[in-house]
Amino acid sequence: MSSRNLLVALAGQPNSGKSTVFNLLTGARQHVANYPGVTVEKKTGSFGVKGTSVKLVDLPGTYSLTSYSLEERVARDFLLGDSPDVVIDVADASNLKRSLYLTLQLLEMEVPTVLGLNMMDVAERRGQRINTDKLQDILGIPVVPTKAKRGEGKDALKEAVYSLAGNAGPSFKIDYGKLEAYISELEELLVEDPVLSVLYPVRWFAIKLLEGDSETAELLKKTHPDAQSVLDRTDSCRQRFQDEDGNACERHIAFTRHASCAKVTRETVTLPTEKRRNLSDLADRYVCNRVLGPLILIAILFVLYEVSIVFGNWLALQAWPLWGALESFFADILPQAGFLNDPLLRSLGLWVVKSLTAILNYLPIFFLLFSLIAVLEDSGYMPRMAFILDRLFRRFGLHGQSTLPLILGGVYVGGCAIPGVMATKAIPDERARLATIMIVPMMNCLAKVPLYLILIGAYFPDVAGVAMFFIATVTLFMALPVAKILSITVLKKRPSAPFIMEMPPYHIPTITGVLRRAIERVWLFMKKIVTVVAAVAVVVFVLINYPGLTSSRTAYYEDMQDTAVAVFMKDVNKTEFKDVIRSHDVLPIILFGEALKNAKRKITDKNMSAAINEEFQAGNPIYYAVIKRVGKDAKKLNKSLKKVIQVRKKVRREARAERFETSFLGSMGKALEPVTQWAGFNWRINIALLSAFAAKENSAATLGSIYGIDGSDQSVQDSMKAGEIGFTSLHALALMLFMALYPPCVPTSIMVRSQTNSTSWMLFSIGYQTLLGLFVSSLVFTGATVLGLTGFQAMWAFYALCVLATLVMAMIPNPEERKAASAAIITPCKENCS
Amino acid sequence: MKKMMIVLTLAAMVAFAGQAFAHSPLMSCFDNGDGTITCEGGFSDGSSASGVKMHIQDGEGTSILETKMNEDSECSFAKPASAYVVIFDSGEGHTVELNGADIVE
Amino acid sequence: MTLNELRPGACCILTDMTAEGALGQRLMDLGFCPGAEIEIVRNAPLVDPVELQLDGYHVSIRHNEAEYIRVEA
Repeated sequence: MSSRNLLVALAGQPNSGKSTVFNLLTGARQHVANYPGVTVEKKTGSFGVKGTSVKLVDLPGTYSLTSYSLEERVARDFLLGDSPDVVIDVADASNLKRSLYLTLQLLEMEVPTVLGLNMMDVAERRGQRINTDKLQDILGIPVVPTKAKRGEGKDALKEAVYSLAGNAGPSFKIDYGKLEAYISELEELLVEDPVLSVLYPVRWFAIKLLEGDSETAELLKKTHPDAQSVLDRTDSCRQRFQDEDGNACERHIAFTRHASCAKVTRETVTLPTEKRRNLSDLADRYVCNRVLGPLILIAILFVLYEVSIVFGNWLALQAWPLWGALESFFADILPQAGFLNDPLLRSLGLWVVKSLTAILNYLPIFFLLFSLIAVLEDSGYMPRMAFILDRLFRRFGLHGQSTLPLILGGVYVGGCAIPGVMATKAIPDERARLATIMIVPMMNCLAKVPLYLILIGAYFPDVAGVAMFFIATVTLFMALPVAKILSITVLKKRPSAPFIMEMPPYHIPTITGVLRRAIERVWLFMKKIVTVVAAVAVVVFVLINYPGLTSSRTAYYEDMQDTAVAVFMKDVNKTEFKDVIRSHDVLPIILFGEALKNAKRKITDKNMSAAINEEFQAGNPIYYAVIKRVGKDAKKLNKSLKKVIQVRKKVRREARAERFETSFLGSMGKALEPVTQWAGFNWRINIALLSAFAAKENSAATLGSIYGIDGSDQSVQDSMKAGEIGFTSLHALALMLFMALYPPCVPTSIMVRSQTNSTSWMLFSIGYQTLLGLFVSSLVFTGATVLGLTGFQAMWAFYALCVLATLVMAMIPNPEERKAASAAIITPCKENCS
Repeated sequence: MKKMMIVLTLAAMVAFAGQAFAHSPLMSCFDNGDGTITCEGGFSDGSSASGVKMHIQDGEGTSILETKMNEDSECSFAKPASAYVVIFDSGEGHTVELNGADIVE
Repeated sequence: MTLNELRPGACCILTDMTAEGALGQRLMDLGFCPGAEIEIVRNAPLVDPVELQLDGYHVSIRHNEAEYIRVEA
C-alpha cells in the first residue's frame, strides 16, 4: 500500500456496540456534524495504521439497507455515493443470526467488508461458541472478534482494514433459488447502461429493482437511456415471479436472506444446550411490570428532572460569574456610555452579548441533561420507557418516547422547551416526532411561572393553589388534543414508522462514553445556536429600538439632563472644586463611579477593596474625591451628584420605555389591538407579550414596568386596576391561557428549526401557537363575558371543555388504525388481552 | 387497570411541582461610605428585578427591614450598626443572601 | 392463528407474515420470517404493546402490528 489516505465506513445494526467500536478506533480524534440536508448525526474520526491515515465515517445504525427509513437511506447513499475503500461491519456476536442480515446486504453491494464480531464477551458469557475461521471461509471476508467495551481487538481491526484496502469486493452470493433467473434477466438489461454498470454493482441493482425499491428506480431513471423499458421489464418479472412462487419478490428475497443467515449461523455457532434466563430478562420482570414498571418510570423521570432542571439551575447560578465577567469584559472594551443615549456600537454590542450569555447560562443544564439522556440511551432504558407509555401517547398521535421531551418542557410546572425539543431526537416515528416538537413549547416552562404568579396573586388570591393547579394541568389537556389534530391534519402525510422496536439487554453505561456524548452534543448545539441567536438578537434590537424618539421628545429628555447638570454645576461653584470640575466632567465622574463599583463587585476582602480604591485614586484624584467623599466639600458635592445620577437613570429609563412603545414592535402591539380586544388584551399587554417572544422571562418584567407591578402585596391589583379600569379576573385568565399557548421563545424556535431541519416548520410552530393562543383566550374571554361567568367559573368551564376534547380526540382512530380497520382484520384481541 | 395507571401517572406528574426560575437571580451590594448601603438586583437573562422583595435581617435572623427593589432595580438603606444579612427574595427557594460583613467600602 | 391472539407465556412458530410496505419490510428486517421461534414475554402495563422473544433477542410490537403475523403453536 502506498501512503494514500483511506476512507472507511463503519456500519452495523443498532445496539451492536458500534459507537464503542468507533471510539475505540478513533479515540479523541472525532468530529460531529449532520449528514447534508437531514437531522441524522454524522460522526467522523481518524486513525493511522502503518503510516496510512484512515478517515472513519460512522454510518447510522440500521437493521437493513432498504430505502424505507431515513437512516437506511443515509447509510446506503454514503456507501454508493462516497464509495468507501473498506466497510467495517460491526456485528453483535451474541446475536449473530440477526446481525448477518445486514452483513449479507453489504456483501451484495460488493464493498470490501471486514466483519467485526463485537460483544464476544457477552456471547461467551451466554455460553455461545463461534467458529470465526469457518465464518471467514464461508463469507470470504476477514472476521475480527472484538470486545470493544474492554478495549480488545483494536489493532486486529485496523490491521484487517489495512490489508483489505484496494482488494476487490467480496464474492459471497446468496442463492435466491427460483428468483435467480429473473435476476439474470434484469442484469442483462442493466449492463447495457455503461454509466450504471460502473457506478453500481449490477447484481445488487437488479435485486433491489426486484424488491420494488423506489430509490433504485429513481437512480435508474437518472442514468439509463431507456429506463422505462427496464422498469416495465422489472414489473413483468415481479409479476411472473409472484405467479410462479406465490410470494412477492421482496418477501422471497428477505426470507431467503434470513434463511442464509440461519444456515451460516447453524454452521458456525454452537449454542448452549440449556436455555438460561439472563439478567436483563430478570430485570425486565420488574422494570416492565404492570405495577412496578410505571412506578420505576416515574422515579427515573423524577430523578432526571431534579438533577437536570433543579440541580442544573443551581449549577447555572454557580457558573454565572463566568458569563457575568464576559458581559463586563465587553462593557469595558465597547465605547463609553453617554448621559442619555449610548453609542450604537455599545448598545447593540451589549444587547448581543446579553442575548448570548442568557443562552450560555443554560449550559450546565444542557450538559447534565445530555449526560442523563446518554445514560438512558446506553443503559437500554429508552425502549422500555416507550414500551410502558406507548399506548397512552399513541392515542394522541404521539409516541411512547414523547414522554421525556414533555417532562423536560414542563408537563406540570417548571421545565424548559429548549432541551425538550432537543430530546425529541430519540423518537423514531417522524410524524409523532413532529407532533411532539409542536406541543413541547405549550408546556409550562419555568419562564412562564412568574407571570402566572403575578396574575394569580392579583386576581385569584383566595384560590391561589387551585388556580395554579388549573394552569399547570390544563396545558397538557390542551396539548394532547392539539397533537392529535395536528397528526390527523397537517402531519397526516408525514411518514409514520411502525412501532416494532428492539429491547436490547441492559448495559452499564461507561463514564467516558457518557461524557463524550454529552460534550459532543453540547458543543454541536452551541455551535448551532450561538450564531443564530446573535443574528436574531440584532433583528430584535432593531425592532424594539427603531424608528426611535422624535426630535421634540429627544429635546425634552435632553432638557431634563441639562437642568440636572446645571444644578450640579451651581453646587460645584460653591465649593473648592470651582473651575476644577466643569460641566463636561459630569458624565466622566458618573462613569468613573460606575467603573469603581464594577471593580469591587464580588470583592469581600477589605485589603483588596483598599487596593482598588488606591488604584482609582491614583487614576483621577479629583473624581475619586467626589465619588468617595474625601473632604467636607466633596461630601456635599457627592449628595448633589447622587441627584444627577438619579435624574440620569430616570431619563434613560423613561426614554427607553418610550422608544420601545414607539418602536416597530410597539406599533405592532397597537395595531393588533382590534384583534386582541376579543381576548381582553389592550395594546400595553400586546407589547408585553411581543417582547416576551425574545425570551419568556421578559413578559413579567415588561408588564411589570408598564404597570408598575411589583409582584408583592395588593399594589399589583391596585396599579393594574388604576392603569386599566375594569381589568377583571377574566382578563387575567385569558392572559394566562394565552401565555401558556404562546409561541415558543426565540431560542426554542431556533431549536425547532434545527430539529425539523426546516424553516417552514419553525414558522408554522410560531404561527399556529399564536393563533391558537388568541383563539383560546378570545373564546374564554368573549364566551365568559356573553355567559356572564366570573373568572373562576370560566376557569373550570374551560377545564371541563379541555378534558372533554382530550377524551374525544383519544377516541378518533389514527390514520393507520383506520386503514387496519377497513382491511377488516378485526380480531377479538382487545377483549382477550386485558 | 388502565385507568389506575393513568391516575397514577398524573398523580406523579403533579408531584413534579418545582417552582424554580429558569434565569438565575443576581445581587451585588455596595457600601456608599455615608452610612448607607446600595444593592443592585437583576437576573442572568438581563431582566430587571424591579419589585423584588428585599429583607434585611440582623445576626439572629430577626427582620430589621422589609423593602423592595425600586424601578431602577436598586435598593438603598441605612447601614445597620451590628451584623446583618441582605436577602434578595425572587420567589420560592430562589434567593440570594449576602452577609453584611462581606459588603466592603 | 395470529400472533396477537396469544397470551404472555405462549410459544409459537411463525408461519407467515402478511404485512406489506414499510411495516412488512421492518418486520422482515427484524427477523419475522417463516420458521422463527417466538415467545410472548409480557404485555406492557397498558396492555399494548407486547414484548416478544424472537430467536434469542427481545422485541416489542404493537398488537395491531402483530395481527399481520400468522403463527402456529
